[in-house]
Amino acid sequence: MSTESHIDAAVLADYWLGILSDPEGEAIEEHLLECDACGARLREIIAVAEGIRNVARGGALRMVVSDAFLECLSGDGARIRQYTVPAGAGVQCTVTAGDDLLIGRLAADISGGKRVDLCFYDERGVEQVRLMDIPVPLGQGSIIYQESITFAKAAPDSMMTARLLSFDEAGGESVLGEYTFHHTRSLPGPGLQR
Amino acid sequence: MQVEVNDAELVRRIGSGDDREAEAELFRRMAPRIRLYGLRHLRNEAAAEDLMQQVLVTTLEALRARRLREPDKFAAFVLGTCRMTVLELRRGAQRKERLLQRFGPDLPVSVPPSMPQLDQEHLTRCLQNLKERERSVIVMSFYDEQAGADVAKFLGMSEANVRVIRHRAVHQLRECMGAA
Repeated sequence: MSTESHIDAAVLADYWLGILSDPEGEAIEEHLLECDACGARLREIIAVAEGIRNVARGGALRMVVSDAFLECLSGDGARIRQYTVPAGAGVQCTVTAGDDLLIGRLAADISGGKRVDLCFYDERGVEQVRLMDIPVPLGQGSIIYQESITFAKAAPDSMMTARLLSFDEAGGESVLGEYTFHHTRSLPGPGLQR
Repeated sequence: MQVEVNDAELVRRIGSGDDREAEAELFRRMAPRIRLYGLRHLRNEAAAEDLMQQVLVTTLEALRARRLREPDKFAAFVLGTCRMTVLELRRGAQRKERLLQRFGPDLPVSVPPSMPQLDQEHLTRCLQNLKERERSVIVMSFYDEQAGADVAKFLGMSEANVRVIRHRAVHQLRECMGAA
């Protein structure tokens, strides 16, 4: 690998994650000891990696996660508030100042379908958020959804409905499960209506 | 126009006599590169700094004694020294003090860490703009750096497919963050 040819940022990310083969990693290391442009790019990747860790710890993202990820965060001291909701059921929920992550475990048979979307609707039934083509863990019987803790902490008393929608090859839609969240605000602030 | 002397030429100059200017220039170049190696393998700024100092003094010792016969293989020599030093650090070897006492005064001033500053809110927006699978893959991969196989299992995909998704997400994130 010459210093004239630079290393792709995604390969440097793999190097940082330690998932390259030994020969690949060694070739990159020798290159990095001669090429400051790639060193700068790796520093940028490291900064992004650390930034992602901070964002993940902050719980501000809406995303589907795994149990292993939650265990890792919990092991690092994150305080996780979780609600398990069977399909067709509702749950009373809140979030406090001490919570770092807000998790909903949505039970469903998610074995079929080409694509699964997770949609959220307000009290009038208007779609507010759609997570398209979410990761579908095999054989788990539920989706682990992380709601943005920033959003939840600012939300007023409200009701929100989530639906897991499955789409087949022809685009036909079916509802895998519907879940209702009755959110009670417990934090002071402009959204507190009592 | 000033033409930058390459690493091998600096190595030759150090080996041919008492050329403190060449030593300082070579160390200025190598220090951040060695620190990056240390960060990758030791995952700790202070340990990476230790590694950098030990590798630099070991290298200086070798260059002054003309033990590097092929200056063009300088990078390979430093890489080998880095590897051995990481092993020593992990074994808790204390050669550091002896070497630092002997060569410490010749080392240049410590090079400050040079990680770029990130706008955390912008990064959050960029992450939220990724597709669902890309966001899950990249957040879970970077949060738990040992989790490559777990992420693949979670998604029901091969590790090769997860790699494709991760690469796409890295490129999109860099673009969103305005990387050059």
